[in-house]
Amino acid sequence: MWVPVAGLPSLLALSALTRGGRFCILRFGAARRKDVLAGNRRGLSDIHPQLLSNVGFGKSSSRVYRCRSEIKRYITSPRLAETLVQILQGKGDASQPILECNPGPGILTQALLGSGAKVIALESDKTFIPQLESLGKNLGGKLEVVYCDFFKLDPRSRGIVTPPVMTSEMLFQNLGIEALSWSKGSPFKVIGILPTKSERNTLWKIFHDLYSCTSIYKYGRIELNLFITEKECQKLLANPRTPNLYQALSVLCQIACGIKVLNKLPWSSFETYTTNGQLEKQKHRELVEQNMCLIQLTPHRDLFTGNLTPFNYDVFFHMLRQCFMKRNAKLVDHLHSLSPIDALHILKQIKKNKNVKVIDMYPQDFHRLFETIECSKEDTCKWLYDDFMEDVIL
Amino acid sequence: MSALGWGRRAAGLGRALWPAGRPRLLAEEEAFGGVRGHRRSSSASPCEQDRRKDWGHAELLEVLQARVRQLQAEGVSEVTVKRVDVALAPEASSAQSPGKAWARAEGAAPKLSGRWAQKLDKEQRLMQKRKQRLEGRLQKRERTLAWQRQLRVEPRLLSGRLANQLQRWEQGAARSPWEEQLAQLLQEAPQRLSGDAAKASAVRGSDVRLEGQRQRLLSFFECCLLTGHLPLAHHVLVTHHSRSRQQRLLTLAMYNMVMRGWAREGSFKELVYVFFMVKDAGLAPDLLSYAAALQCMGRLDQDASTIRRCLKQMAQDGLQLQGLFTAVPLGEGERAELLRAVRKAEPTFRPPPPPPPPAPQLNTSPLLREVYAKGCPVSYPRLHLPLKKLQDLFQQQLRVELATTVTVQSVEKAQPPTEEVLHARKTLADLRATWETALYQELQETKASEARAAREGRPSLFPYLCLLSEREFVGLLLQTLQALPAQGESLLFLAHELGLRVFNRHIVQRKQLSKQVQVLEQHYIKYLHLLASDTQVAERCLPRQWWEALGMPEAPHEQPWPVSVLVQLGKQLAEVLVQAVQMPGSLAAPRGPGSLIPVLYHVYSFRSFRQIGILKPHPAFTQLLEAAAERTLTFESTEVPMLCPPLPWTSPHSGAFLLSPTKMMRSVEGTQQHQLLLERCPPAQLHGALDALTQLGNCAWRVNGRVLDLVLELFTDKGCPRLGVPAPPSEAPRPPQGRQTPKSGLLPDLSPADKAEMRRELARRLKVAREMQSLRADALCRLSLAQHLRHRVFWLPHNMDFRGRTYPCPPHFNHLGSDLARALLEFAQGRPLGPHGLDWLKIHLVNLTGLKKRESLQARRDFADQLMEDILDSADQPMTGRRWWMEADEPWQALACCMEIARATRAPDPAAYISHFPVHQDGSCNGLQHYAALGRDSVGAASVNLLPSDLPQDVYSGVAAQVEVFRRQDAEQGVRVAQVLEGFISRKVVKQTVMTVVYGVTRYGGRLQIEKRLRELHDFPQEFLWEASHYLVRQVFNSLQEMFSGTRSIQRWLTESARLISHTGSAVEWVTPLGIPVIQPYHRDSKVMIKGGIQSLTFSSSGDTSQKPNTLKQKNGFPPNFIHSLDSSHMMLTALHCYRKGLTFVSVHDCFWTHAADVAVMNQVCREQFVRLHSQPILHDLSRFLVKRFCSDSRVSKSVWVSRLLDTLLSVPKTGAFDLEQVKRSTYFFS
Repeated sequence: MWVPVAGLPSLLALSALTRGGRFCILRFGAARRKDVLAGNRRGLSDIHPQLLSNVGFGKSSSRVYRCRSEIKRYITSPRLAETLVQILQGKGDASQPILECNPGPGILTQALLGSGAKVIALESDKTFIPQLESLGKNLGGKLEVVYCDFFKLDPRSRGIVTPPVMTSEMLFQNLGIEALSWSKGSPFKVIGILPTKSERNTLWKIFHDLYSCTSIYKYGRIELNLFITEKECQKLLANPRTPNLYQALSVLCQIACGIKVLNKLPWSSFETYTTNGQLEKQKHRELVEQNMCLIQLTPHRDLFTGNLTPFNYDVFFHMLRQCFMKRNAKLVDHLHSLSPIDALHILKQIKKNKNVKVIDMYPQDFHRLFETIECSKEDTCKWLYDDFMEDVIL
Repeated sequence: MSALGWGRRAAGLGRALWPAGRPRLLAEEEAFGGVRGHRRSSSASPCEQDRRKDWGHAELLEVLQARVRQLQAEGVSEVTVKRVDVALAPEASSAQSPGKAWARAEGAAPKLSGRWAQKLDKEQRLMQKRKQRLEGRLQKRERTLAWQRQLRVEPRLLSGRLANQLQRWEQGAARSPWEEQLAQLLQEAPQRLSGDAAKASAVRGSDVRLEGQRQRLLSFFECCLLTGHLPLAHHVLVTHHSRSRQQRLLTLAMYNMVMRGWAREGSFKELVYVFFMVKDAGLAPDLLSYAAALQCMGRLDQDASTIRRCLKQMAQDGLQLQGLFTAVPLGEGERAELLRAVRKAEPTFRPPPPPPPPAPQLNTSPLLREVYAKGCPVSYPRLHLPLKKLQDLFQQQLRVELATTVTVQSVEKAQPPTEEVLHARKTLADLRATWETALYQELQETKASEARAAREGRPSLFPYLCLLSEREFVGLLLQTLQALPAQGESLLFLAHELGLRVFNRHIVQRKQLSKQVQVLEQHYIKYLHLLASDTQVAERCLPRQWWEALGMPEAPHEQPWPVSVLVQLGKQLAEVLVQAVQMPGSLAAPRGPGSLIPVLYHVYSFRSFRQIGILKPHPAFTQLLEAAAERTLTFESTEVPMLCPPLPWTSPHSGAFLLSPTKMMRSVEGTQQHQLLLERCPPAQLHGALDALTQLGNCAWRVNGRVLDLVLELFTDKGCPRLGVPAPPSEAPRPPQGRQTPKSGLLPDLSPADKAEMRRELARRLKVAREMQSLRADALCRLSLAQHLRHRVFWLPHNMDFRGRTYPCPPHFNHLGSDLARALLEFAQGRPLGPHGLDWLKIHLVNLTGLKKRESLQARRDFADQLMEDILDSADQPMTGRRWWMEADEPWQALACCMEIARATRAPDPAAYISHFPVHQDGSCNGLQHYAALGRDSVGAASVNLLPSDLPQDVYSGVAAQVEVFRRQDAEQGVRVAQVLEGFISRKVVKQTVMTVVYGVTRYGGRLQIEKRLRELHDFPQEFLWEASHYLVRQVFNSLQEMFSGTRSIQRWLTESARLISHTGSAVEWVTPLGIPVIQPYHRDSKVMIKGGIQSLTFSSSGDTSQKPNTLKQKNGFPPNFIHSLDSSHMMLTALHCYRKGLTFVSVHDCFWTHAADVAVMNQVCREQFVRLHSQPILHDLSRFLVKRFCSDSRVSKSVWVSRLLDTLLSVPKTGAFDLEQVKRSTYFFS
C-alpha cells in the first residue's frame, strides 16, 4: 500500500532497535523469555473447550510454567544461618523486624527467631508456607508468614494484583508497619537472595523504587541485605578503574547507597529447588563455580538534598542509560542528544576535558554533571528528555 | 604559462592542503554544482557528452587556477612573514590536516606586534579563507573530473580463459571488430555453470539477507538508468563482478538491465563487455540479453552476417525469435531497432501481430453469473453531475495530484494577529529562507559524497538523490519539519515516510514526463460519458468494462523500492535535515549565546530492551510555531478525498487515484506475496473484486453542512468530549509547573516522598494533556478537511485488505470513522423518499439511539412517532432545546437524522422530498451468522436472525440464558462458584466474549473480558473474580457449543488445518468464493539492519513467503480471516447486485448504507446474496483447494505432516439441517 492506510491502525510493524551495548542484549534475552512463556500459556488455554473440559487445565497450568523458569536458591545449612544471624544482629537493635524474602525451608528463619528477632517471612512458593507457619507456632507472634513475592512488589503495570504479587500498601498495612521519614531511617531491614535469572532486572527495579521513593522506600531508608552473584557484585562496585565492569547500575548504586560486602560464599552453600519444593541436583557447572556475595545497601541520608530528587530522577536514569549505551564514546557526543545546552560549556563547568569518555567518569562526576545541567540558568529547556519518552524498565 | 602547468601545480597544492581522507571540512559553504551536469538530457552518445563535460570543466579549472595564482601572489607580496609558514606547512607533511596548518599560522601571529600587524593579520586571514574556499572548489572539480575518468569500463574476468580471450581481442581490436567477438562469445559455454548452480541452491534456502541485498542492487541499477547514470551503473557492475564475494549478488536481470541501457545508447563495446561478464559469471543469456544485443546492432546498422550468427546461436539456446517481440517488454523505439536488425538477417521476417485485444474475458464464478449476464435490463446508476462539471472536477483533481500536496485552512479559531504573532511569523519566514539555502547546500554535499561512494563501487543512494530536483527535496524536508510533533517522531518511522514520499513524487513526475497524463486525460473524458448525467452511451456496462473498452494502454507497473532502500534514503534525508536546520540560540534563551543551535535533536528512548531513536525539535522551535499560529495544514494528495470519480480498478495495481500509485490490496510495506498472488491469477477471476471496489469508490459524497457548523461551534469553543468533540489544550489540566521549570520539584523543604507524589501528579497531568492533544490534532485534521470540502462533491476511492475487506483510501476523513465522522457525510446524490422512505428514516433514528433493539420494526417506527416532538426540537434547537439527541448511542448521527426527518415531514409531500441521508442496516453478529449458515445450525441460526421471526432475536441473551441453565445445574450439584454467581449472569457479562468468539478470541482473552465485566458489578464478591470468570468463560464456550455445534466443529477444523499447513512449511492460502486469492501474511520475523549515519536502524519484516510461517498466528488467524473473507464476499455480491439495480451502496464491513427509499430493495438483495453465497459448497471447495495446493506435490507427500493434513482436510465437518432459503424471509437478518 503506497497510499496512506485508512481506518486501520498503522500496519507498520517496524520497530527500532539499535546496536545496544551488552546491557541491551541482556534485556533482550529477558524479554524474549517472557514472550515465549506468554505464548506457551496462550497456546495451552487456546485448545477448544470440549477438549479441555475433562482436563483440569486452569490456574495450575500457568503456574507450572511460571515456576519452571525460576530456579530458587535457599539457605539450608544451619551453620551458615548462624553466621548470618551474627552478621545481621551484630550491631543494630533487635526490635527492628527482619523481612526475610523467600525463606524456603526456613533454616535461616529458625536461626533468626532463635536470636530473638521479629521475623516477617515473605514466601512466594505456596508449598513452603505450612512448614513456615509451623515454625512460629509457639512464639507469640514473633513470626508472620505472608504469601508474597518481595521482588515483585508494586508491579509497574497497574493491573490487578493477585498474591503472590502485591502492592506495598497491601502488605505493610496488614503488617501494621508505618512509614518513617527519609531522614529518620528504616522501620525494618530486609534479607534475601536475588532471583538468579532476573538479577539485573530486579536490581533496576530496586533502584527505580529507591530513587523515586516508592514501594518499600516509601517507608523509609530501607536497608537491604542481599545475596547476589559475585560478578554482579563486582559490577555494582565498579568504577573507571575497572572499566569492563562499569555500568549504569554501578553509578546508580554508588550514588544512592552505602555498599558493604558482608560475606562471600561459594554457591554450594545453597541449595536449589525446583517447582514442587524438590531438592534439585546442581547441574549447572558455571553456576556452581560462582561465588555469592552478601551485600548491604543502605540508602544515603543526604541522597535527595541536592537537585537530584524523586521529582526528576528519571532524567538522571535516562542520562545514564544513554551514556552507557556507547560507553567508549565521548561524553560530549552524548550530551548533544541529552540536552540542548552548550555541551562544551557544561564540561567546562564540571571541569572535564572535552574529550572525556563515558567510562572515564566516576559516579560522582555523573552526579555533578546532572546537577550542573539541572542548575543551569540560561536556558528554559534543560533536557531533551520528556515524559513522552518515559523509559520502561522491566 | 600554459594552463596545463598551472593545473598541475595548483592541483598539487590543493592535494597538499586537502589530504584525501578529509574531503569536506571547510568548503561546506560552497555549493557543489558539478553533479548537476548529469541530469542533462541529451541525445548525444556518452563519449561525446563526456568530452563536452570535460571541456567545460577544464575551462572552469583554468579560471579558478588563475584566481588562485592571483591570491597567492597577493599573499606573498603583502606578508612575507607568513609566507614561510603557509608555504612550508603543507609541503612539509601532506598528511597533516588543514586545521593544523591553520593553527600554526595562527600561532605565528603573536610574534607580530602593533596595529598594522593586526590589520595585516586580519586581512591575511580573510585572504586565506577566500583562497581556501577557492581551492576547495577547485579540488572538487578535480575530483569530479577524476571520477569521470576513473569509472571502470573493462571488466576483470574471473575465468582465466575468458580473460585471455578478452585481452587478445582488445589488442587486436582493429583486426576483428567487436561484433565479431560477440558472435564468438555467444558460442562460449557459460563458465562455472555447475559450481554456480550448487552455490545458488546452497544460498537459496538460507539467506534472506542476500535476497535483500540483491533487491537493493537491482533497484540501484534501475534507478541509475532512469537518471541517466549508465556509466556509473556499469562501473558498479564491473566492480561487483570483479570481486568474487560480491559477484554472487549479481543476477542475470542486473546484467540485462545494464546491457539494455547500452543498447539504447548504441554503445556496442560496453555491451560486449557486459556479455563477457555474463558468460564469466556462468549465466546463460536469455531473451532479454539477446534483445539488447540485437537492438544495439540495429542501431549501429551492423551487417547481416553477424546478426545471422547471433540469431542462430539464439535458436541453439532454445529461444524463439518470436519471443523477442512477445515476451520482452520493449519501448516503441527499441522495438523498431530490434526489428530492423532482425529484418537484415531475415528480410521476410514479420513480427507477430500484437495479440488481438483479448476478447473481454468473462468471469465464470456461478455467484457472479447474474452480475455479468448480458441482455437483461440493467439500470446502472449515473452521477447527478453533467459532463462539463465532471471534466472540470477532473482538472481540479489532476492539479492536486500534480502538486502532490494540498494545503488546507485549519478550522482552529483565528487569533487576531497581534504584534507578537506577526513577529513570530516573520521570524519563521526568515528562518525558512535560511533553511532553504542550508538544506540546498547540505543536499549537494550529501549527493557528492554518495556519488563518491558509488564511484567506489558501492550501490549508494546517489541515483535516488538525482530523481527529484533539490528544490523538491528541500520542499519535502521543510514540510516534514513543519509537521514534526513536539514530542518528536521515531527516526525509523520518519525515514520510512520520507522514503515513501520521495517514491510517490518520483512516480507522479515520471508519469508527467512520459506524457501519460495527456493520454489519461483523453481517456478519462471518454470514461466520463458513462457516468455523467447528460450523456448517452450505446450500451450500459460496468465502469471497468467501459474503461477496458476504451483501450487505455496499460501503463508499465512501477516496482516499489525495497523497504531497506526506502528507509535508507529517508534516513539520509532526515540526516540532512538534522545537520542543516539551525536557529539562533537567542530564540531558546533570551539572554543566551548568539550562536546558532540545531533545531532538531536526535535523542533516544528506551522501551524495555529496545532503544528507539527519536528526532525531536527544540522546544523553542515548537513555541515559535505555536506563537506564529499559522492556520494551514498540509496533506499529501492521497490523504484527501478525490474531487472527481476515481479511476476504475482494472488490475491489482491500477485504479483509484489518477497519478499516485495505489495497490488494490493493502499490505504491510515491503511484502510482495499478496501482489504476486494477485498478478498470477487470471484477470477475469478478479473482476468481482475490481468491480465492487470501483463501485464503492464511485459513490459521490458531500459534507453535511449543518452538522459541521454545530461541531465547529463546539470545537472552537470548549469542545465536548462526551459528544466526541475533543477539547482544546487550554482545557487540559495544567501542570502546576512543568518539567522544564521544576522549581517546585527542587524546593528544599519538601520531603522526598512529597516530591515523588508531585512527580506522579505531574506525570498524570501530562499524560492527560498529551492524550487530549492527540485527539485534538486528529479532530483538527478531520474537521479542516470537512471544511475544505464543504461545498464540493468528493469521492472516496477504496481498496481492500488481504482478506477482501474494503476500506476507503483517504485516512482522515471517511465514512469508516467515529460517530462524528459519519454524521458529517451524506450522499451527494439525492433520491425522493418514496412511500416508505420516511418510515425507514424513523426506524434508522431509533436504531441510532440504541433503544428498542428488541422491538419489531413497526414498534420502532411507532416509538419514533411518539417522540416526534423531541425529534423536531432536536432538529430545530440542537444546542439550546431539550437536547434529546445527546442521549443517543450515536448522538451526531441521530441529530443528523432528526434534521432529515424534520425536513421531510415539513415538506409539502414527504414522499417527493429529495433525501441525501444514508440509512444503515447492520448484520446482527455477522460473524456468527456466517458460521451458523456454514454449519447449518438451526438453533444458532434462529438466535442470529437467520430464521424469520416476529421480533429480532438477540444471540447474547440466548447465550446468557443457556449459561444460566448450566449454572443452575452446577449449583444444584453444589459447585461453589456456580452458587456464588447466582443472579449475576446477564447479557452484558457475556456479550463481548460472544461477539469476539468468531474473531478467534481464546479462553484466555475471554476470561479477561468477563473478569472486567464482573469487576464492574459492585455487589459481586471480588475474591471470586478469578474463579468465576474462569468458570463463566468455560460455560460461555459450552453454550456456544450447544447452540452452534456446527460452528465449533468448523472452527476446530479450520484451526487444525492451518496448524498442519503451517507445519508443512507454508502459509495458509485460499480463494474466496468471489475469486480473490488470500494468503495469511504471518511469518517469522527477520531483521533487516541499516547501518551507518546517526543511528543504525533495525526493522523486522514478517511478510514474505520466503520466511517460515508463524504457526501460532497462522493457526489462530485462519478461522476469523476465513469468515472475514466470506463476509467481504457477501458485501461485494450485495454491492454488485445493488449497482445493477441502480442503487447507491456503500458499506462499513457488515453495515450497509443506502438511500432511505431503497432500503427495502437493498435488504432483499442482501438476503438473496447471502443465500446464494452459502448455497455454494464453500467448505468442500476450500478443502479441495487446500488439498490441491498443499498435498498434491509429490515431493512432500511422504511427510507425516502432509498425510495428516490430507486426512484432516478430507474430513470436512458435517453440517446441520437448517434450511437456508428461510433467510430470504427473515426481516431482522440485517436491520
